[in-house]
Amino acid sequence: MSSVVVAKAGGAKAPPRRSISSPLALILRLVILALLDAGAIWLMYNLLRDGAYALAIVIGVVTLLLNAIYLRSELYPLQWIGPSLALLGVFVIYPIFSTIYTAFTNYGDGHLLTKQVAIRQLEREMYLPEGAPLFEWTAYVSPQGEYLLWLESPETGEKFIARPGKPVEPVEGEAPAEIDGFRQLSRAERLRHTQNLVALEFGQPPQVFRVSERQIGRAAEYEQRYTYDSSQDVLIDNATGKVYRPIRGTFTADDGSTLRPGFRVVIGLDNFQRLLTNPALRGPFVSVFIWTVIFAAASVFITFALGLFLAIMFDVPEMPMRKLLRSLLLIPYAIPAFISVPIWVGLLNPQYGVVSNMIAGVFGSAPPWFSDPFWAKIGILLIQLWLGFPYMFVISTGALQALPSDVYEAAEIDGASPIQAFWNITLPLLMITMGPLLVASFAFNFNNFVVIELFNKGGPPMSGTISPVGHTDILVTYTYRIAFASGRGADLGYAAAITVAIFLILVIITYFQFRYTHMLEERSENV
Amino acid sequence: MRNKGILLSLLVVVALMLTACPGQPTPTPAPPAPAQEATPTEAPAAEVAPAEATPTEAPAEEAAPAAEVSLTIWADDTRARVLEALGKKFEAEYGIPVVVTEKGFGNIRDDLKVAGPAGEGPDIIIGAHDWLGELVENGLLAEIELGAAADQFLPAAVQAFIYDGKLYGMPYATENVAFVYNPDIVEQVPATWSEVTELAAELEGAGVVKQAYIRQEGDPYHFFPIQTAFGGYVFGLTEQGYDPNDVGIDSPGSIAAAVWLDNMYKAGHLKAGSAVDYDIMHAAFENGDAAMIITGPWALPRIRESGVPYVVTTIPGETQAAQPFLGVQGFMINAFSKNLLLAQTFLQEFVATEEAMQEIFDADPRPSAFMPVREKITDPDIAAFAAAGENGLPMPAIPEMSVVWSAWGDAIVLISQQREAPDVAFKNAAEQIRAAIAGSR
Repeated sequence: MSSVVVAKAGGAKAPPRRSISSPLALILRLVILALLDAGAIWLMYNLLRDGAYALAIVIGVVTLLLNAIYLRSELYPLQWIGPSLALLGVFVIYPIFSTIYTAFTNYGDGHLLTKQVAIRQLEREMYLPEGAPLFEWTAYVSPQGEYLLWLESPETGEKFIARPGKPVEPVEGEAPAEIDGFRQLSRAERLRHTQNLVALEFGQPPQVFRVSERQIGRAAEYEQRYTYDSSQDVLIDNATGKVYRPIRGTFTADDGSTLRPGFRVVIGLDNFQRLLTNPALRGPFVSVFIWTVIFAAASVFITFALGLFLAIMFDVPEMPMRKLLRSLLLIPYAIPAFISVPIWVGLLNPQYGVVSNMIAGVFGSAPPWFSDPFWAKIGILLIQLWLGFPYMFVISTGALQALPSDVYEAAEIDGASPIQAFWNITLPLLMITMGPLLVASFAFNFNNFVVIELFNKGGPPMSGTISPVGHTDILVTYTYRIAFASGRGADLGYAAAITVAIFLILVIITYFQFRYTHMLEERSENV
Repeated sequence: MRNKGILLSLLVVVALMLTACPGQPTPTPAPPAPAQEATPTEAPAAEVAPAEATPTEAPAEEAAPAAEVSLTIWADDTRARVLEALGKKFEAEYGIPVVVTEKGFGNIRDDLKVAGPAGEGPDIIIGAHDWLGELVENGLLAEIELGAAADQFLPAAVQAFIYDGKLYGMPYATENVAFVYNPDIVEQVPATWSEVTELAAELEGAGVVKQAYIRQEGDPYHFFPIQTAFGGYVFGLTEQGYDPNDVGIDSPGSIAAAVWLDNMYKAGHLKAGSAVDYDIMHAAFENGDAAMIITGPWALPRIRESGVPYVVTTIPGETQAAQPFLGVQGFMINAFSKNLLLAQTFLQEFVATEEAMQEIFDADPRPSAFMPVREKITDPDIAAFAAAGENGLPMPAIPEMSVVWSAWGDAIVLISQQREAPDVAFKNAAEQIRAAIAGSR
C-alpha cells in the first residue's frame, strides 16, 4: 500500500516526460523491437525462399514503418495505433490487393505452380528411347563415396561396368563383391544411396545410363524428355522434337497439344471478360441479384423490427422477470449458425419435421419449405429472423438507454400518443446510432454464404436455366457454384474476379445507404 | 542523432543474431527404433540380406556419405497406425526411418497442394482416386509401379487410378453402395427396378410398410446405379478414361431411369418434395418405416446398432446389371518427393503384400483392393458390399465432374419435387454441363 503511495508521489513530483528518455523503457522497447525485427526477418527470409515476394515486401514495409513509429519521436502519436495499423496492413489491406491481383491471373487447378517450378518438374521427366534395353543394376561405392554400377541385361545377357563420366566397359561373369576397391552395396544398404545414385549419369556420351526412379533395380539409357530453352522461352521435347511455347500458362505445341502441369501467369482482363460473357450472367443473374437485395434488406428489416419491438417491451420497468427473459432471448445468438441452421432444416422437414407436423396439425398441411420457391424464401427468412433478432435486440436496448427522457416529457405535455412518440422521437433518434449498424448488417447479409449453404444450398433448383442455379441462391452462393463447380475444378483467378465484381456492387450499394443514413442524421439533428 | 544511428545498427545486429538461431537446428529424424523393438525384426533383415547380395564388410560402420534419408507418409488416423507398424519393419530392414504424419483424410489433398510445390510435402500420401484429376492436373503426383504383385490387385481398382493412360496410385480399398433390405418385410428380393415398383405397390397397398423404398432426395451418387441399370451413363468410358466430350446424362438409358423415378413419385411410392436426407432415410429404414434402401458400408455400424433385420445384396438391374460408382482409396507418391525410388520401393515391397493389406483391412474393414485379402473376407455384409461393387465403375476423377454433380443433382431434385418432366430435367442438365465444359476451355 505504502509503496504505491510513494510511487505515486514520486510520479507526481517528476515532470511529465516521454518514456523514450527513461533508460529502462528505452532498453525494453529496443529489445521488443529487436525481437519483432528478428521475427520479421526470419519470416521474410522464408517467404523469399518460397517465392512469395509480395508478402515479403509487405511485411518488410510494415516492419520498417513500425520501427520508425517507435524510434522517431515525431511519430509519437502514432505509437498508440501502431500495432493495429500493422495488423490492418497485413491482414486486411494486403489480402484485398492480393485478391485483386489474383483476379488478373489464371491461378487455380492446373495452374498452381510458378513457371520456374513447372519447368523444373517437366525437366525431371525421363523417357526411354525406343529399342533401348532395360538393365538390372548393382551398385558399388568407394571409400571416398564414388559410385559405379554393374549392369546386366536380363534379355541379352550383356554386362557392363558404368562409372560417371567414363566410357562403359563390357564385362563377363558374375557381379563380384568388390571392383577396384569399390564395395558392393547390399540390398538393404542401397536404398539409403538411391538419392545419390538417381542424380548421377553413368557412362560417357553417347552411352549414358541412369537409374530408374520408378522401377526398382532397373537402369537404362534414359534421356531427359524436355529441355527448356530460356533464350527462346520454349520447351523442346527431345523425343519428338516438338516445340512447346508458353501460352496463357500452359506449354502448348503448334498442333495444340499441351503439357502438364501448367503455371501461374497474369492473363489480363480475361477472367473479367469470361465473367461478363458467361451465359450464366445473362440468364438467371438478374433474378439472383434481385433476390440477393431482397434477402439482405428483408433480413435486416425483420430482425430489426422484432429486436426493437422486444427492446421497447423490455424497456418497461414493470415487465416481470425482465432480466431473466432478456438473457433467454440472447440464446439464439449464442448458438452458432452451424448448429442451429441444420436443426431448423430438420424441424422444417415436410414429412418428419416437428414444426411442419405442428403446422400440418393446425392447418391441415405444412408449407413445402424445400420444394416451393416461395416457401423456401420464407423459410430462409424465418431462420434469418431467429438467428438475427437477438443482435438487434441487444443493440436497440443499449441505444434506448441513451435517449434523453426530457424529449418524451415534452412530447407528453404536447399531447403526443405513445405511437406518435415512437415514430417521431424514438425511431429518428435511434437511427443515429442504429443506421450504420443496419448498413453493416445489410452488407453482411448480402454475402451471407453460410446460412444459404447450410439451409438448402440455394435450392430448390430453377428449371430450364443455362447454368445450375437455385431459387434461394444469392450472389455469393451463385458465383461460388460458377467458380468452383466449373468445368476445370477450382478456378481461383476467376473466383477472385467474381469477388472483385461483388465488392464493387457492394461499394455502390453501401455508398448510397450511407448517404441515406446521413440524411437521417441531419434530420434527427432538427428534432 | 548519432546515437540513433548506433542504436539502429545495434538493432539490426541483434535481429540478425536472433534470426540465425532458429534457422540452424534442423529437426533430426526420429532416433533408431528402441532396442526392444529392433530385436524381433532383426531376423527377417538377416534373412533377406544374403539372399541377393554377396556378403559385405560391416554395413553398420559404412562410411559412405549417405545423406540423412527418411520416408514421410501422410495418412488418416486408422491407416496411420498400420503404416507406423509397417514403417518399423522397413526401418529394421533398411535402416531408413519412416515418419507417419496423421492428418484428416480430406486435409491430405489440400495440404499437399500447398506443401508439395514448396518442397515440404511427404513422399507418400493416402487418398481417394477421385482426387487424381485435381492432383495430376497440378503436377503433384508421380507415376507409380505396382511391382511384382501387380496382377493381384482388383482390376477395376487399378483402372480407377489410371489418369490419362498413366497409373498414379496403388489401391488398398474400394467402397460402393449396395442394396439393403429388411427381410421381415421383403420376402423375395426384387431383381429389377420395375419389380421394386410392383413390390412397393403391393406392400404399401397391404399396409405392411409405410414406404417400401426410400431414397435421399436429389442425390446423384446413390441414383447412379439405377441410371446404369437402365443403360444410362455420365461420361463415356474409353481406353484413356472418361471422355468429357461424351456427356451421357441425356442418353436414352439415363432418361429411362429418370422416367422410372418420376413414376415412383407420381404413384406415391416416393413422396414428392419430402426433402429426405441421409439421416431421415436411415431412420426410416432402421425403425421399420421403410424396407429397401441403397447405402454404403459406412452405414453398417448404425444399421447394426439399430437391431433392424437387414440383408445386403447387389443392386437390382433393369435392362442390364446395375453398376454403382466405385470409390477407391490408395497410396500415391508426391511428384516433389526427393526420393521417388525409395517411396516406390516401400510401396512395392512392403505395402503390396498380403500381410500389410490384411492389416489395413483389419484396421478398417472395407473391401480390400488386393485380391488375396478381398477373397478371404469373412464378414458376410462386407463381402456382399464387395460383390455389389464387382462390376462398379470408377467415379470419374476428371475435373469436369465438378460441374456434373450440381447440374445432375438439380435435375434429380426437380423430378423429386415434381416440378419438371423427367426428360426435360435430364436434357437441360446435360446442356448445362456441356455449356460449362465448353465455357471453361
